[in-house]
Amino acid sequence: MSQVRSFLALYRGHLLAYRRARTAIYWSLAFPLFFLLMFGFVFGRGNPEDTRFVMPGLFTITIISGSVFGIAMRVVTERETGILRRQRVTPVSGVAVVLAHAATALTTLMLSLALQLVVARALFKFHIVGSWPAFVLVLLLAGAALIPIGLIVGSVARDSRTAPAISNFLFFPLMFLSGSAIPFVMLPLWMQRLGRLVPTTYVNESLQGIIVRGEGLSKVAGPLAVLALTSVLGVSLNGLLFRWESTEPVRRERLLLVLAGLAVLYGGAYFLTPSLGMAHYRLKG
Amino acid sequence: MTIAIERLRKSYGATHALKGVDLHIADGGVVGLLGPNGAGKTTLVEILEGLRVPTAGRVSVLGLDPVKQARELKRRIGVQLQSTAMPLDLTARELLELYAAFYPRALPAGDVLRRVGLEPKRDTLVRNLSGGQKQRLALGIALIHGPELLLLDEPTTGLDPVARRALHEVIREFHRAGHSVILTTHYIEEAEGLCDRVIVIRSGEIVADGTPFELIARAEGASTLWIAFSGPFDPRPLEAAGAEHHGQEGAHHRFTARDPTAVIVALGELLRSQQLTLTDLRMKRPTLEDVYLELVGEGEPAKLLEASE
Repeated sequence: MSQVRSFLALYRGHLLAYRRARTAIYWSLAFPLFFLLMFGFVFGRGNPEDTRFVMPGLFTITIISGSVFGIAMRVVTERETGILRRQRVTPVSGVAVVLAHAATALTTLMLSLALQLVVARALFKFHIVGSWPAFVLVLLLAGAALIPIGLIVGSVARDSRTAPAISNFLFFPLMFLSGSAIPFVMLPLWMQRLGRLVPTTYVNESLQGIIVRGEGLSKVAGPLAVLALTSVLGVSLNGLLFRWESTEPVRRERLLLVLAGLAVLYGGAYFLTPSLGMAHYRLKG
Repeated sequence: MTIAIERLRKSYGATHALKGVDLHIADGGVVGLLGPNGAGKTTLVEILEGLRVPTAGRVSVLGLDPVKQARELKRRIGVQLQSTAMPLDLTARELLELYAAFYPRALPAGDVLRRVGLEPKRDTLVRNLSGGQKQRLALGIALIHGPELLLLDEPTTGLDPVARRALHEVIREFHRAGHSVILTTHYIEEAEGLCDRVIVIRSGEIVADGTPFELIARAEGASTLWIAFSGPFDPRPLEAAGAEHHGQEGAHHRFTARDPTAVIVALGELLRSQQLTLTDLRMKRPTLEDVYLELVGEGEPAKLLEASE
């Protein structure tokens, strides 16, 4: 019970600090807006029909950058400066600390997406074919699946210089293999295969289903299940890696365990993809 | 018993930070840990806080094991770490409220702000507080849940004398309420003025332990007396009492003595028998600083200068 109170207090504190930090606002609002304009005017050539087709990819990229970058940096900074160390001598639990960061990242991510939606509606008459509640649910699940990756980067990164490097290293495969930057069918066969091993592919597929093809939740239940499992597994595995202090070593055997856990999940997803109702993700040479 | 430590050792690889420390601290005192940089003060305090795990030995804080009963212990101790790291974009009040939420019971943030003298700064962002104000806020965080024991690691380092005195007052007030305080410090006058027990640590070992008074009395150092008389005098009665005459400095004769009280008794006798009056008497006892320098050995004065700058 007191951990719930700790979580809420930390979450409130992060949001208050976020509101006051200009650079944070810039990265989570101006950057997504820039991406939207680029996608809308360049890839969508400014017309509503084409723009709708590129929007799932845009949202996927926004979700990647909103969950892999900022949160890792915030965790590392709090560890480096000793804020976490100070919290360690209070009764607050690591779970509350980590979940408060995750909730903050999810909130700011939703703000970025909301801004994109409003502007996309105004500039490109953006609308979705499927239902809005389903769309929002997919966005939330996508954030919940990818944010743990940012948490894990934050736990593993040695310092505030290595964190962005790891995030960048992850950013490109998450983007290119998912079909969000380049449509999946245009990727070579080996990349399509690899694509089934990254969570963003399932994000992009669910978003396409709802935005472009007007599918209901039941049709995208397969990829959504993969995302839900990623979220639960990611948060639990991060618990194995969380460090209060920079002097604590990263446990290599635990890191291997985490990678093995994710490998099992995505190995399963790889073989199940064709039967998950992901019509567009049947391999095409 | 607030703290019981037996044969405590802590090693980092080949470096031995603590080499078999035995220490018992009764309830309700202000105990100062004094020692040069790297002596093991911080290691010792952080073991008490549960932040570091001992290599060997037994430690009990408020009757609890800091590692195995960490959860319970954290609720009952208030901690100020050596480097104060706080989220910069929260106000003083918001920060206290955040930490208050971590505990099952806590004091109102407004009360704590008043206690540490930050009431006027309650809505100031942490990033805009001065160093002294941040230190006071850090102490406020340590007090927010009404702890039974305060563990403060260099709470006043880097503060000006006024800010330091203000912090001392907060610590004294906490102590007057019947609680215990353990603090580390570089400032000898802080240990002398604030602590009722001083423990000197050098290279991971306790080299002295007692009230500031006892430590001074136990030391080898001699007191100096400056005595001025109404006329010529015969110093022999004073020399018989153990004083050494070092000649005249202006109107004053300078003596040194291990036991200055005996010299003063002999001085009374001398005045009566030689029909003299005393025009001035000054005495300088060895200070805790002399004792400290004697205990921690050569090469330390430079470090002390650094620390007090």
